[in-house]
Amino acid sequence: MAKLRRKLAPVSLFSTVALILAGCTPEVQRGFLPDSAGVTNHTDRIIGLWTTSWIVLLLVGVVAWGLMAWALIVYRRRKGETGLPPQLRYNMPIESLFTAIPLILVLGFFAFTARDTAAIEAKIENPDVHIEVIGKQWSWDFNYVDANVWDSGIQAQFTGSEQNIMETLPTLYLPVGKSVQIDLTSRDVIHSFWVVEFLYKKDMFPAKTNYMYFTPLKEGTYVGKCAELCGEYHSMMLFNVKVVSQAEYESHLGRLAAKGNVGQLSTEYDRNQNLPGGDPEKRG
Amino acid sequence: MATITQTTNPTSFTPKRSKGQILVDWLTTTDHKKIGYLYLITSFIYFLIAGVMALVIRAQLTLPGLDIVATKEQYNQLFTMHGTIMLLMFATPLFAGFANVLMPVQIGAPDVAFPRLNAIAYWFFNFGSFIAVSGFFTPQGAASFGWFAYAPLSNTTFSPGIGGDLWVFGLALSGFGTILGGVNFITTIITMRAPGMTMWRMPIFTWNTLVTSILVIMCFPPLAAALFALGADRRFGAHIFDPENGGAMLWQHLFWFFGHPEVYILALPFFGIVSEIFPVFSRKPIFGYKTLVYATIAIAALSMTVWAHHMYVTGQVLLPFFAFTTMLIAVPTGVKIFNWIGTMWRGSITFETPMVFALGFLVSFVFGGLTGVILASPALDFHLSDTYFVVAHFHYVVFGTVVFAMFAGFYFWWPKFTGKMLNERLGHIHFWILFIGFHTTFLVQHWLGVMGMPRRYATYLPEDGFTELNVISTLGAVLLAASMIPFFWNVWITYRHGVKVELKDPWGYGRSLEWATESPFPRHNFHSIPRIRSESPAFDLNHPEYAAPEAKAAYREEGRI
Amino acid sequence: MKTNIVILLVMAAYFTVADIAYAIWTYIDTGAVEPIGTAAMALLVILAIFIAFYLYSGMRRTATLPEDRDDANIEDDAGEIGFFSPWSWWPFMIGASSAVAFAGLAVGWWLFIVAAPFALVGVIGFVFEYDRMAHAH
Repeated sequence: MAKLRRKLAPVSLFSTVALILAGCTPEVQRGFLPDSAGVTNHTDRIIGLWTTSWIVLLLVGVVAWGLMAWALIVYRRRKGETGLPPQLRYNMPIESLFTAIPLILVLGFFAFTARDTAAIEAKIENPDVHIEVIGKQWSWDFNYVDANVWDSGIQAQFTGSEQNIMETLPTLYLPVGKSVQIDLTSRDVIHSFWVVEFLYKKDMFPAKTNYMYFTPLKEGTYVGKCAELCGEYHSMMLFNVKVVSQAEYESHLGRLAAKGNVGQLSTEYDRNQNLPGGDPEKRG
Repeated sequence: MATITQTTNPTSFTPKRSKGQILVDWLTTTDHKKIGYLYLITSFIYFLIAGVMALVIRAQLTLPGLDIVATKEQYNQLFTMHGTIMLLMFATPLFAGFANVLMPVQIGAPDVAFPRLNAIAYWFFNFGSFIAVSGFFTPQGAASFGWFAYAPLSNTTFSPGIGGDLWVFGLALSGFGTILGGVNFITTIITMRAPGMTMWRMPIFTWNTLVTSILVIMCFPPLAAALFALGADRRFGAHIFDPENGGAMLWQHLFWFFGHPEVYILALPFFGIVSEIFPVFSRKPIFGYKTLVYATIAIAALSMTVWAHHMYVTGQVLLPFFAFTTMLIAVPTGVKIFNWIGTMWRGSITFETPMVFALGFLVSFVFGGLTGVILASPALDFHLSDTYFVVAHFHYVVFGTVVFAMFAGFYFWWPKFTGKMLNERLGHIHFWILFIGFHTTFLVQHWLGVMGMPRRYATYLPEDGFTELNVISTLGAVLLAASMIPFFWNVWITYRHGVKVELKDPWGYGRSLEWATESPFPRHNFHSIPRIRSESPAFDLNHPEYAAPEAKAAYREEGRI
Repeated sequence: MKTNIVILLVMAAYFTVADIAYAIWTYIDTGAVEPIGTAAMALLVILAIFIAFYLYSGMRRTATLPEDRDDANIEDDAGEIGFFSPWSWWPFMIGASSAVAFAGLAVGWWLFIVAAPFALVGVIGFVFEYDRMAHAH
């Protein structure tokens, strides 16, 4: 028994040091989330909640697994052992403790979650940029509401790994540092608008408008994917979001206007509008 | 002097029957044990079928851009049916199987309250499941709209094939079977316990069967209603789930109102199984019996009020209400985990195969529970919903619970079912390959989800950076599948060459009543029942020096100690 | 019996609290009560109370059963417990014909019409199985 303890000591010391050292890489420090620090005004909050939650949860896990390991090693039946241990059936103080402590942890976690969720979902009264994204089988329509131009896409055409697909995907442009409201709806089935590095998605329902509010803070190209099963080409319903300077944003809008994409794509020809209750005017 | 000759044990004499007679015996059985074996065998076959589908899915996802599955539509059919079969045709009937075989014996009853209804429930399950799966034999294939069948994707505009109709009505029939089974179990437990078997002396497995059955009668009727409504939309021109009238959200609410308690229906009976195993192999009673029961009831009640945590990203549910109730469920679940640890604490633990599988469950389930707490938070779920993080989470909790506890239960109760013990060495080999294969497959999927891999994607791009982890996951899946081989080999050689145990309690420290009757079970379960003065009547009988206080008092009066 | 009633009433109490909280909270949050969840949880309350009441009326009419007594002996319940069907063809018949009927809902009315009489005969045969001829009791 003492021999085992002597061997355990350097092992546990090593693993503690390894853990501390591992905590130094930026990837681990954000809990393996995508590199989203400062990408939108919400991402830092989400990263913070994620990493703090994981630290607490892993501690709970270590306690549980540690107790298990201890019991299995220390309380194993030795060779030649006869008889039975005391038939203990309950211990109210301990049971109260392991009911109360998780309850307190849960209440704390709820408090932080409620605060952060409210902040992320909070409506922006007068957003600088107003965009409408309409999902369809199997791509995206972008209505730049203020500028009165539109853009449209088709699903990713994946014929082989040589092609540079990322550049062929429909791309939504947003100006950096400006507050954005995106209205989300669908022409047919439920889709979901997910920009991976924004750490946020919201579903798009037919005959309903959903809203998301955020401010992109870092220029870059961000990958977007549909995140609700929508039929055969669900996995090809990809897009990009390009956060650019105000100047480049306006020049992109100018390009769309020059292409002739003036106006707004309507929901006029959406599917299933002849069903009872359907009224394109009243959509929302 | 007259010599006394040994009379042969009457249960060992069985006249040879023709194959036809055996078939008729099984088709017309009303014996809860045989019906239970039918459930166990049928659900295990479905497990293997859905497992093969999973292997095809994993093969398709190993590298980006593969075309192992010919069309993406077929891929959608694969994961839809994999989910449907695993949840509704494997795990739920598996609960019915174990409950059928064991619960009446554990309470000292000769059968269930409604034996013929019991058989009806089995045939509804069998035939209903076959109908749902038969979509694969139709030209347009099986249902492909995901096992949660969101409207309007699941209506005839977007999913026109008959596979979808077969799915809807097959599941409706199968669901009725589950409801009838639940009713039967509740009635049996309330009305057919042996004298002295008060509610607070029932084994934990029986308690969990009762609570699960209450959950079944609360949540399966809404599913049946939703399925008939969807069937009416698809086949009879109804407009119930039309998106123009909020039908998409109506479906989601109805489905998840069923869908969330369903996963607790899957979990609780298997918590019950491991609650039987830990005490036997720790040689101590279950720790915190009363709080375990309260925790189970709390989990059941809470689970009916959390359903919309599957709907956080719809933007149309009350986020804080559901976040709160969902996080609260972690508390009684944690209580159960610590109670199991407390059972082992200061025990005298040995590592026979059932115990090893139960420990595999405990280790895996803890991690699944932790990721569940993360997902309970809408702020974090906004990123993680519909990604492989969720896939990893539910495989950890469901596979970790159902599959590990299933095998634990098989190895544990095999002598009661068949009269023979499964081979220990093969059992350990089976466990380790399964454990390593399972974790290799699913642990890396947490990272995949966090990195941005959505679920239900038929393929992905090399630029995504998901390739490495997908390769590892597929290799794990192959190992997982391979772990079935030692199990099948074990079953085969035990059947062929296994030695009959002839003992009522082959593990030596059995606690509940099934360990106080012959192995295999007699036709009406007991030739005689021991006195019941605690939750461990068989243990009290066999180890009177260590019996529970009430039992000990009675034995002292008799002079047995 | 009492334990079961208490469990159901505790569940009913929890569902009532949850339902009222949900109704009020969704009203405050969105200006309208969310009808589906509110209705579903209300039905749970009714189900739980309904079963609890049935058990209660049963409990009131019987003495304490041997299975609910801490000091009962197995001999206390000696004798015939009840009638347990030894075997029966009807469950398989009902199962098979209901299956074809349900498949008929998916496939077409012709199949349903073929199966429906069998299912009906099955149910009637099942209900009256032990009231007839050799089995009459």
